[in-house]
Amino acid sequence: MKLTSVNQSLRRLQDPSLIIVILLLVIVVITGSVLSDRFGTMRNFMNVLEQAAGLGFASIGQALVVIVGGIDLSIGAVVTASTILMAAVVDLHPALMIPMIFGTLLFGTMIGFLNGYVTIRTGVHPLIVTLGTASILNGAVLIYTLQPTGSVPYWFEEFAYGRFWSVPVSGLVMLLCFVMVWVFLRYFETGRAFYAVGGSPDAAHLSGIQCNKITLIAYSASGFFAALAGAYFVSRTSVGDPRVGDPITLSSITPVILGGLILGGGKGNIFGVLLGVFLISLLSNLLNYMNVSTFIQWVIQGLIIIVAVSIYVHKGRKL
Amino acid sequence: MFTKLSKLMLVVAIAFAPVMATADGYVGLPRTFLWNPNFNEVIDTSDYGGEGPFAIGFSNASQGDGWLGTFYHSVQYGVSQNLDKIDRFIVTDANGDPTKQISDIQDLLEQDIDLLLVNPATADALDPILGRTMRRGVPVVTVARRVESDDSFVSFVTASDTALARMSATWMAEILDGKGRIVLLPGLAGASPAEMRLQAAKEVFAQFPGIEIVDTQYTGWSPANGRQIMAAIIQREGVGNIDGVWADSGLQGSGSVEAFMGAGVTGTDIPPHTGGDLNGMYQLAHENGFPFAGIDYTPSIGAAAVNLAVDVLEGTPVPQRLDVNFQVVISPGHETRSISADVLLPDYVAMDQPGELIMGSGIPNYDPNSFSVDLPN
Repeated sequence: MKLTSVNQSLRRLQDPSLIIVILLLVIVVITGSVLSDRFGTMRNFMNVLEQAAGLGFASIGQALVVIVGGIDLSIGAVVTASTILMAAVVDLHPALMIPMIFGTLLFGTMIGFLNGYVTIRTGVHPLIVTLGTASILNGAVLIYTLQPTGSVPYWFEEFAYGRFWSVPVSGLVMLLCFVMVWVFLRYFETGRAFYAVGGSPDAAHLSGIQCNKITLIAYSASGFFAALAGAYFVSRTSVGDPRVGDPITLSSITPVILGGLILGGGKGNIFGVLLGVFLISLLSNLLNYMNVSTFIQWVIQGLIIIVAVSIYVHKGRKL
Repeated sequence: MFTKLSKLMLVVAIAFAPVMATADGYVGLPRTFLWNPNFNEVIDTSDYGGEGPFAIGFSNASQGDGWLGTFYHSVQYGVSQNLDKIDRFIVTDANGDPTKQISDIQDLLEQDIDLLLVNPATADALDPILGRTMRRGVPVVTVARRVESDDSFVSFVTASDTALARMSATWMAEILDGKGRIVLLPGLAGASPAEMRLQAAKEVFAQFPGIEIVDTQYTGWSPANGRQIMAAIIQREGVGNIDGVWADSGLQGSGSVEAFMGAGVTGTDIPPHTGGDLNGMYQLAHENGFPFAGIDYTPSIGAAAVNLAVDVLEGTPVPQRLDVNFQVVISPGHETRSISADVLLPDYVAMDQPGELIMGSGIPNYDPNSFSVDLPN
């Protein structure tokens, strides 16, 4: 039993996507440590863990949708709308802070549910459906406000900046979410059905899996995690920002690709996505330490994605 | 014996000495300082004072347009003028994303900087992290944009968006004798300079009941957008039915002028325009002779902020708000009751320089394409 488990672990380690992302992480850490004696410190790694939380939450949602064979281009818009909703309501009624945390998460979940429902009912590709949702949400937000608005109580900053035994609270919550999603995908029947639906919906249907239900759960979860990312950004900035989510949609896809999840669904390890999140965050941190311009950062980030995916495809698995 | 006010005047005069010496037009104390009805506190920086050389971290919001590029050059120029006092100068660029800028600032703090110089992407979102930076004992100097809380920075260096907009809007209303149909072309929707300028301009136009605002369109401070948007408005309204165009910068203002020229309107038939910053806008106004008022949001605030940052690190008292001079540039014969020229257009425009040059950099013989200075590291 134990031997089987070890063999499975070794097989996972041989997963080319994980090997590549781990290799890139090692390169980044070694390069940073050589270039700066401040980079390789625990203090800096905790700093990066804190910064990674927003991207981490958004990427979990994107990963779940990608596993069932979809894609969610509304994540950034849900993040934005969540920040505005939370900050605007709490600004008017500060006593509603705690209910609004749950209200915002519910809002995100409902938007995700609607994405899934429309995709299933209409048969329109999720790329189009979620793009439409993004457009509606972004437009509605900009009708409401063009500038950052609202506020939250000071104590809510502790979600983003607080520390528990020197470990950032937001980073801990993100790690907990990854572990819970991993357990769900691996040990729950519904979770395992995600891979079946993403791999072959017809086969999944024939084997008795309710594909529509799984799709709805995936998109709802994506909305939930996008709203959680929104709550994190409100905590970090203390305002709702009509543009905060703009870069999140695309950046949430990057760790998913780096982590080896196949666009098209059915395969991939959620911990690969976590490693992808760490890689992107550490890379950004390293390039700041190197005093490198943002434009060069974009080039390097793009090159890493292309190189990682090329090696991955070369190993025989198509994205 | 120094009173607080005389101390402030001395600090401001010292801070502006280089600005006054190089300005072509108005060389007095900044009018935004003189006419500010509020008091400007002098900040005691002795707690931050120490022996140099110092490490300064600069968290830049973006280099997304020509003005921001020149502003960054001005910051670099300021650092190059203080090489004996600055031994580390670390720069991050948030590409307009406030959440990235928060991470950038955390990365700078992890590198043990002595002072944080910051051009905040937004006024509100950076408040918590800058407050935390100050509480950590690292002084913060904000430039171009401030944040909400006074406790989140030591000093704010600016050229005043509201003054720029009020003066250009007043000129527009007065040159039209208080009546006419005008178009407003603000900058980037949601960006605090654009919103502040637009609000200030609307305050002015509201005092002239004869002024009708035909349309308000954000342009993202892009010449191409300015041209495209204005061309559509001309098409809709008809060439002769637009009496003036208020643009908060010549970046999009130049596009508007080109749209009129594209519609066959040239020379003095082009309606009055506002908008400074871009040499190309000044060139178009000079060549065509239409009524024009340009006020630069001078990028030299970058160098002024570096000088002030060094003062903070040396423990010299600094004003909480440092206003940098701007010039009111008006085409000949087009001054109005309230708005006089500091410099007439023919004396200000650089006809021998490229159109994309951003004016008011404060850098001698500035050429954005070949600009290079010695920096620490």
